[in-house]
This record gives sequence, structure tokens and C-alpha cells, in this order.
Amino acid sequence: MTTTAIFFLIAGLGLITWVFARARAGRFIQSGVASVHSLPSYHGWYAAMWAVVPAVLFLLVWSTVAPALGSYQVLESPLAAQLPTDAFERAAILSEARALSRNPDLKVFNDAAVQLAPLYSAADSRYAMIGALAAFLLCFAGGAFAFTRIRPDFRARTQVERTVMLGLLLASLIAILATLGIVASLIFETVRFFNLVSPFEFLFGLQWNPSDKIVDGQATGFGAVPLFWGTVFIGAIIAMLVAIPLGLMSAVYLTQYASANVRKWMKPILEILAGVPTVVYGYFAALTVAPALRSFAVSIGITDASSESALAAGLVMGVMIIPFVSSMADDSIAAVPGSMRDGSLAMGATKSETIKQVLIPAALPGVVGGVLLAVSRAIGETMIVVMAAGLAANLTANPFASVTTVTTQIVQLLTGDTDFNSPMTLAAFALGLTLFVVTLLLNIVALQIVKKYREAYD
Amino acid sequence: MSASNPPAATASRKTDWMGDAMQRRIARRYAAERRFKFFGLAAVAISSLFLAFLLVVMVGNGAKGFITTEATLTVDLPAATGSISPDQLTGPRLSATMASIDVRRIFDQAVQAQYGKDGARYFATTAWTALRDQLIDNPNLVMGKTRFWLPTSSDIDRAAKDRSTPEAEADYAVLTQKGDVRQSFNMQFLTGSDGTDPARVGIWGALKGSLITMVVTLFLAFPVGVLAAVYLEEYAPKNRFTDLIEVSINNLAAVPSIIFGLLGLAVFLQFLSMPRSAALVGGLTLALMTMPVIVIAARNAIKAVPPSIREAAMGVGASPVQVVFHHVLPLAIPGIMTGTIIGMARALGETAPLLMIGMRAFTTTPPDGLTDPATVLPVQIFLWSDEVNRGFVEKTSAAIIVLLVFLLSMNAIAVYLRNRFETRW
Amino acid sequence: MLDNTATTSTKSKMSARDVKVFYGEKQAIKGVSIDIDMDNVVAFIGPSGCGKSTFLRTLNRMNDTIPIARVEGDITLDGENIYSSSMDVVQLRARVGMVFQKPNPFPKSIYDNVAYGPRIHGLAPNKAELDQIVENSLVRAGLWNEVKDRLQDSGTALSGGQQQRLCIARAIAVDPEVILMDEPCSALDPIATAKIEELIHELRGRYAIVIVTHNMQQAARVSQKTAFFHLGTMVEYGDTSDIFTNPREERTRDYITGRYG
Repeated sequence: MTTTAIFFLIAGLGLITWVFARARAGRFIQSGVASVHSLPSYHGWYAAMWAVVPAVLFLLVWSTVAPALGSYQVLESPLAAQLPTDAFERAAILSEARALSRNPDLKVFNDAAVQLAPLYSAADSRYAMIGALAAFLLCFAGGAFAFTRIRPDFRARTQVERTVMLGLLLASLIAILATLGIVASLIFETVRFFNLVSPFEFLFGLQWNPSDKIVDGQATGFGAVPLFWGTVFIGAIIAMLVAIPLGLMSAVYLTQYASANVRKWMKPILEILAGVPTVVYGYFAALTVAPALRSFAVSIGITDASSESALAAGLVMGVMIIPFVSSMADDSIAAVPGSMRDGSLAMGATKSETIKQVLIPAALPGVVGGVLLAVSRAIGETMIVVMAAGLAANLTANPFASVTTVTTQIVQLLTGDTDFNSPMTLAAFALGLTLFVVTLLLNIVALQIVKKYREAYD
Repeated sequence: MSASNPPAATASRKTDWMGDAMQRRIARRYAAERRFKFFGLAAVAISSLFLAFLLVVMVGNGAKGFITTEATLTVDLPAATGSISPDQLTGPRLSATMASIDVRRIFDQAVQAQYGKDGARYFATTAWTALRDQLIDNPNLVMGKTRFWLPTSSDIDRAAKDRSTPEAEADYAVLTQKGDVRQSFNMQFLTGSDGTDPARVGIWGALKGSLITMVVTLFLAFPVGVLAAVYLEEYAPKNRFTDLIEVSINNLAAVPSIIFGLLGLAVFLQFLSMPRSAALVGGLTLALMTMPVIVIAARNAIKAVPPSIREAAMGVGASPVQVVFHHVLPLAIPGIMTGTIIGMARALGETAPLLMIGMRAFTTTPPDGLTDPATVLPVQIFLWSDEVNRGFVEKTSAAIIVLLVFLLSMNAIAVYLRNRFETRW
Repeated sequence: MLDNTATTSTKSKMSARDVKVFYGEKQAIKGVSIDIDMDNVVAFIGPSGCGKSTFLRTLNRMNDTIPIARVEGDITLDGENIYSSSMDVVQLRARVGMVFQKPNPFPKSIYDNVAYGPRIHGLAPNKAELDQIVENSLVRAGLWNEVKDRLQDSGTALSGGQQQRLCIARAIAVDPEVILMDEPCSALDPIATAKIEELIHELRGRYAIVIVTHNMQQAARVSQKTAFFHLGTMVEYGDTSDIFTNPREERTRDYITGRYG
């Protein structure tokens, strides 16, 4: 029986409990008991809750515990005694055997795994059966307990509502859990990485040439400055050179000049740019933009232009960011009081003079905040740079050369068959932590600026 | 005060607005005004032209991906397999019979018979699987001699659509002359899965992976997001703990997506040892990413429900939970739906975090469950874009068209919902 | 009502003939004719929504900034129709300055606020002359002594009354012929209001001044001529002393005695 089927069965049992409990509570009303506290359906919900929630919680816990119990049983078997003593090899064989037990078509590398696989199947199905039985018992016990408590004066509604509130609180806690999960996992792996590479070397080293080699407990080739430079060059310089003028001017045109009709059509069209998935931009950059830029570069005499250039990635990323900058600029300009615009026009300023000398300076904090948010988005962007920027860790300001970025290297380090303890895998987490901290700071600063600015005109 | 006025001010009074210098200056200012307006128009035009260019390139390349080039192959099956009686094709014996036929050998023989020793160059390397599929679909074909249409090699395919190597173009000319080649709609692209031969690959495997992943994401992110929004907007006390929740949510909404991939890798795969490449893990990871979007949208929708509704419900004796679940939430649903669709569209287009948790499995069969190795449409696009074989270019673009159709229609629905229900109060 | 408006004086700086303003379908001004001369401060009074501010904004074409607004009739400045194609709206607004209800200094330094107009219109060929214009304007607006040591401070850092005088200084820096004031004191405290009123007295004669006010005492204090607006029409126009002591129209009397408004 699959876990999914068990879940559905328990849900079905919950429904049955609901119907019976509701009917039972309904009879109190028909029999004319004077003071029934809660409506019958609340009694139904109360009973169904008792039937479903403990059983489901148990199943969730069991599904994380059961594989470990299965492994334990397999290790107890005589076959397991023949396994190599090296912990790493052992673990590899065991995990292969487990995979094989789930998917018999799998190709295996260790013959030992083939013998162990049936043991795994047996152990897993045994524990699955135990788990299912226990879950059903819990389901019946819970339902029965709740059923006995149904009385006219029982405050089922209060109980149900208390549980609902608990559910709401738990749902809100998931955000904190996720944040903690991100911070904890990044910091944990980064600390392990810094045991192999000094933080100083990582943050200020100029050589990025990662390898698994560990000499004297230290790994080399993890100087991330070229990555930081590439990220800044593409995301904060080239992309912004495209996105700021185009985004700002689009916002100015659409809010100050365009007729209502043009605005109605053009705004959603610009927003489509933000809805196109990044992998599509990446493909477009690699397929069309990069070759075109390369032939352009060659035609103007830059013979060493790379087919994966910083410019191609930056340009396309800039276009992707346009709607973002444009909508932030739009909001900021809209927040400037109309009286300022009128004041300038009444002085005899033309519209463009008003925009350039009054509106944009007045909206500047908001625009700057928006640009910072855009930068934070650009440097965290992955697919465009993975597909169009290349892997060469060059420290160059030549836009036609290939540079690499933090996100590209994270993808590069984590795809392939590296194991979790290698310095290369850990380096990806260190890069991830750097990226996380930088984008977080940018966001905090940007939101502070925007907030201050909004308050100034409120 | 006016007594202190310097006389110079009075003397220089009345600017000569009609003078030549002033007129020239005005002309210059108007020129600057027109220039500025033109720059604005140009910015909008450049942005939309870029979008148009992108779409044209994708459609131009991708449209060909939906067309397949096929050549005829006449196969005399009874001659190759020995006679098979009709009752061998019925009921339970059918699959055994079909398994006994060595389609690949029959295919090779038929090709040699019809096109000579080098005839294999006309067909895709996996064309025999197309023959097998047609036989499985229609077992009665086993009984006779049939003219099959099978996919050509990708060189000839490109010769038919565009240009190719001189040899392939010559081959194509010969085939055309004999009427042995045609172009037809590529059904295999919509129903097949990944493969090594561009002529036979399809997106159904990746699409199904995407759908399963999205279902997981929706089932996790939607309830959690809405409930968290209800709590924060309606019940949460104003204290530091609530602030912490709010900061976490706003922060999660701004974290680069690849960080969620690292989280999935470290927590779900490494720490909880969930299966690699599974839609379950992909859905979990994307749910964490989508939840803040839904929370923020749902909070705005709930905030927009006027307080008078709450007061009215309270007034007739509804409990706080009843007020929210019977009155506020139903009114906020359109706004919540809009935010959810936008969040789901973003999750559907997401690639980087799924690469981190290994959802780049090369599977030639669609995933069947939550824990099967799977891939998703954007990752499939990424994988195909890396293929050396030129035949994959049009498949990649065609897959992009399918992805964009999904995303744009989701966004269109969201915009429609927003416009339809936004100005209720 | 036409009798008192048709008295076209030769000194008339601006005159309006049968001006109608429409916002889309709605007619906001229903045929107003008036003459404004250099010697007198003209006050527009009337209940809110009567169209006095709307009419004021037609005098320097600020209604052009509202897409649905449409103006009919003739308005002339020195005999030249300001809605004709030969009249340049940028120049018109430089010649007919405006001060708004709420002080609206630009988020720039005090100096740059005043220098804004002269700069865009190119009125000062060099820095020394620009300094001179800024100083003169601030002196004339009665603000010089308060701000001369902090010209580089932001204009928005001043008090409300100072901000409004800064806006007046800004308006007179381009040396306009007419200054329109749209309830310039409604956002100010009484002391600041008194200063502005004093300023209006001093500016009289140098500029034609039109002031919209909802405050009848203020109209009586600062103006020599008063126009009473009601429901988009100008009910009565005459010497301020006459309007307040001896109005000819019933509606004017009702308003002045506080029956409505």
C-alpha cells in the first residue's frame, strides 16, 4: 500500500467520522435538549479532527523514521556483515541497494547492492505495514474518543476554533522556519568550507580555479574576487546601464506623455517582459544576442571577442529588469505631490523641464531604492548568466570578454557527481551565503530608503 | 520692506519676450522638449521591440519543432516475421506476440531493401521505435505489407525546412522527386519524452513533471500562504514575534531563487534524505518560494475588505473565526487567486533551484509519482539548449513556445481576475 | 450683471469675455467676463465649488494640464488672446505667475527655488545677475532677512508661512506682469497670513494681482475690487467697499451675511 493511498484512506475515515458525529449531535437538537452549545457541524469537525490529525502527524514522523529503521534491520542481517568496513564505501553500497529496491530497472555499480536490495524491500514494506496499522489505530482511537465527548453542552465550536487558531499560527511559523533553514544550512556548510579555505583567501583571493585537491588540510584555487567582479560587472553595471535609462524613460513616457489608451496597452506589454522565464532569456541571449554581439565586435576590430560575453548576458538581463525599474520609477513619480508639478508648470517650465528638474529629483530617493532592489535581483539571477556568460573567471572590464558570476559557479559546482563533503560543494554554499547576505543588505537599505521617501510626502 | 529695493531691479523690469534672442531660446526649449518626449517613446519602443523580437525568434525557430519530416518505408511484415495468426493478436497473447517481433531488425532489412545499403542515412536513428509504436497502436498491421511514414534523419529534416549539408539536400531532392517524403504535425513532440535523437524527443515527460511539481507546490503553498495571511492580517498581536514573522516573509520574497535550491539541497536531500530529482522535493522547494508571494497578495486582498463587513458579522454574533472564514475570506478570494496564479506562474518558469536539487534527470518515460526521477519544462529547455545536435535548436524553441503559452495564459487569467473584481468597493 | 463688467478700461491688463469651462460633459464656468487692471488687487470670493479657482486657472492656462478640461471664450493679456495659437503657453505662464493654495517649494535649496524660473527662461546671462535676481525677489517677498544666511538650505525646511513667501519670491523672480494667488493663506496660521497680506499690499501696482479667497475679511483687507462667484457664474463685480457694504445682488448679500457658503 502506498503512502498516498493511506493518506486518502485516512481522509475518507475522517469524512465518515464527520458525518456520524454530525448526525449524533443533530439528534440532540431534534430530541429537544434545551441548551446545545454548538451547531452539529462543529461536532462533526471536532471528531474528524481527532480522527485525522494525530494519524497524519504520526505518518509524517514515521515516514522520516522508517527508512532509518529499515537500514538498521538490513545492517543486522548476516549479508551485511560482509560489507566493506570503510564507512564511505559502505554508505555508497547501502544507498545504491535502497535505490535499487525502489526501482529495479536501475543500473548498479556494486554487486553487493543487488543482494541487499531484496532485504531492503522486505524491511521497508514491513515498516510501511507497521506504520499503516499504527496510523489506522490512531485514527480509530481518535475518532472514538471524540465521538464519546459529543454531548449537548460540549463546546465543540470553541475547541474547533482553538485548533484553527493554532493552525494559523503554525502556518505563519513556516516563514520563520524557512528563513532559519536557509541561514542555518548556508552558515553550517560555509563554516565547514572555511576549515578548508581561509575566509580571507575566499573573499580577497584573485585566483578562481576550484578543485577537490586538499594539500595540508587546505584547498586552493578558491579566490572569489573574479566571481564578485563578474557578478557586479554584469548585474550591477551592464544590466543597469540598460535597465535604468530604458526603465526610467518608459515610466516617464507612460505616466507623463502617453494617452490613457496607449498606457492601457503598453503597461501590460512591458509587464510581459517580467513574466518571461529566465531560462528563455538565457536561451535567447546564447542563441541570438551573443553571436550577434560577437560578429559586431569582430567587425569593429575586437578579434578576441568571446562568444559568451559579459555584454550579451548583461544586455539581456537589463531588458529583463526594465519592467521592474519602470514600475518602481512609476510609483516614485506618482508619489511626488501634483502641486510640485503644477508649481513648475505655472512658472512657465516645459513638461520635460518639469520632469528633469523637479519630478525626477523629487522622486530620486524612491528611484534609487528601486534601482537597489533591481540590482539585488540582477545579481541573484542565475539562468541568463549560466547560459550566456561563460565559466572563465576573468578579471576584465572588456565587455566582449567572458566573465563568470557567483550564481554561475554555484550551479557549476553543484552539478556533477561531487560528494557533499568536497570543498567544491561546500564552496557553493559559501558563495550562496555571500549572495544571500549581499542581497539581504541591498533589500534592507532599499526598503529603508523607499519607506523614508514615502513618509516624506505623506 | 519695498523701500529697501535696489533700483536696479526696477530698471531691468519687463523682459522682452518677443525679442529675437528670447524667441530662439523658446525654440530651443521646445526642441529639447520634443527630443525628451522622443527618448521616452524610444524607450517604450525599444522594450516592446525587444519582446517582439524575442517572440519572433522563438516562434520562427520553434514552429519547425512542431513539424516532422517523414519518409516512406514499405515493410512486408508477414515476410519478415513468418505468419502470425489473428488469434495471436487477441487478448492476453497480444503483448507476448508483439514482444517476439524484432522490430529493429525488420526495420533495418526494410530500409536496405527499399533504399539500398546506405539507406539508413535517410532515417532518424530511432525511427524504428516509431515503427514499433505504430505497430503497438494497430497490431493488425502485422498481418500485411504496409507503407509506413517514419521520421527522417535530422539532416534531411533540416534540408526540408531550411538548409542542410549538400549531401542531405541532394538526398532530400531525390526523396521529393519520388514522392517518398512528407511533412506532418509532430504528435510525438507533444506525447513523447526526452531522448538523444531530436527527431523523436517530446515534452510530455517534462510537462508532466512540471504539472506534478506544481500540484505539490500549490497544495503546500496555497493553504499555508492563505492561513499565514489570515493570521497576520486578522489575529496577530502587535509584538516582536509578529514582526519577526513579517520580516521573514518579506525577506523570503526577496531571496534569489537559487538560494532556495541550496536550501532544498542541504535540508531536503542531505538532512532529510528525500529522493533526488523527485517532483516532491521540487514542489517543496518551489512552495517555500511561492508562499511569500501568496502571503503578500492575500494580505492585500484581506486588507481591502472593508471593516464594515467585519463589524456587520460581529454584530450578528459571529465568532472571530466565523467572521473571517464566512465573510472576509470569500470576499478576498479573487485577490488571493490573482496572487496565487502569479506566484504559480513564476514557479512554473523557475529553473535554477530545481537544477540544485537534481531535477535534471534524463528520463525517457514520464514520471509516475511524487518520488520518481523527473524533470520540468524549464529545466528540459535548459538541457536541450546545451545539446550539440543542431536538431535540438527547434525543439528547444518549440518547448519555449509551450512554456510561454502556459505562462502567458496564466498571467492573462490573473490580469482578467484583477480587472474583473478589483473595483468592487 | 453685464453693466459692471463691461466697463472696459484702457488700463485693463487682462480681460475675459464670456469664458466657459467644461470638464468633460460638466460645465464648470458659465460665461464669465471680467477686466483686471494693474492698479487694483482683485479678489474672487464665493462658496467652495463655485468655480473661482477654476476660472483663475484659465488665466494662465493651467487648465491645459487637465486632459478633459475645455475652455471657450476670449481671454486677452495686453489685448492678445492667450488661447490663440500665436500665444506660447510657456511665455504666458512666465508673464502670468501663480501662487498655490498649499506652499509647494521644490525639494531644492532656497536659492535654487528662486533661481528656477530665471534659469529656465534664461533671464540672467551670468551668475552675478542671477544672484541679484534671487536677492531682489527674496527682498521683495520679505524673506531676505530671514534666509540670507542659509540660501543653500532646502526650501522644504522652512516654516509654512516662509514657504509660501518663498513661492511668491519664486513667482516674481521671472518678473511676471500678473500674479494669480489661489487661496494663498488657507494653509497658514494668522501671523503668517498677516505677513502675506502685508506683502500683497506692497506688491500692488507693480503687478496686477488676482487673489482667490474663501475668507471675506481677507478679501476686504487686501483687495480694491471684488468678484463674487456662485455656481459657475460671476454674480457681481465691483469695488470691494461697495460689494461688502452695499451689494446689488440678492445672492451676494446672502453670502456676505453668511446665509450660505
